Amino acid sequence: MPSNALAVSPVADLATLPDPAAQKAAVANLGIADQSLTPRHGCKGPGAAAWLENFGLPIPPLPNSWLPVDGGGLIARLGFTEFLVEGPATLIARLAAAPRSAGVYPVLRQDVALLLGGARLDELLRQTCNVNFRPLDLATRPVVLTSMVGVGVTVIPELRNGQPAVRIWGDGSYGHYLWETLLDIAVELGGGAVAPHSFN
Amino acid sequence: MKIMTCPLNGPRPVSEFHYWGEVRPMPNPATASDDAWADYIFNRNGAPGLKKEWWCHTPSNTWFIAERDTEKDVVLKTYFYEGDQ
Repeated sequence: MPSNALAVSPVADLATLPDPAAQKAAVANLGIADQSLTPRHGCKGPGAAAWLENFGLPIPPLPNSWLPVDGGGLIARLGFTEFLVEGPATLIARLAAAPRSAGVYPVLRQDVALLLGGARLDELLRQTCNVNFRPLDLATRPVVLTSMVGVGVTVIPELRNGQPAVRIWGDGSYGHYLWETLLDIAVELGGGAVAPHSFN
Repeated sequence: MKIMTCPLNGPRPVSEFHYWGEVRPMPNPATASDDAWADYIFNRNGAPGLKKEWWCHTPSNTWFIAERDTEKDVVLKTYFYEGDQ
């Protein structure tokens, strides 16, 4: 069975990190981190929800919402019958290796996955995206599928250390373009590339 | 900016959508006359007016129907396809 895991991030040759002091300064304004190598699994179809439930996963009841997964990670419901699961490597390996039920179809998830956050995030979003994230009620755990600088993306808005943040997934083949464009804007706003743990 | 309302994702700029033509019931190819089948294959109704059209919200690949006045360029309503009616 082919693995969804990427051996190399789509932005591995671009996502170089400055020294820790510079990262700390950047994340206060607008940090951008590469999370493309996080294990994930995608599936869709009328039987997908029941199939995932068999693994003990919680199923978000509403389309375009997400729930946390035990042991870290999340399960996002994209539309009515498609799911994106990110979590511990053991869970993702179990999902990838398990036989699929009728009405469950695999979705290849070789995404570029980014984490952006900081006080000036909204300024970046206003330049790059059509959706106004500010009125969204984060308590309802919304998932937004939209276009960002022309690339179709899945976005989860959240708060990290009291600062606005977004997790973004997009087609890995747009990784270079998405990273370079968002990083350029982040640098203009006093931010820059950071390691994912900088947001913790 | 023109706004289209996806039944699932809500109002978005029309740049997030793709147009896929008017909803046209397919005649039964086994029983349709050659003229009726050729009309279905080759001809499209270009006259302005009230149209039911296929549209897709591309970031989520959500397909739906938009009822649009193509003369006034106004979207009247959008909803999911529920089979031929």
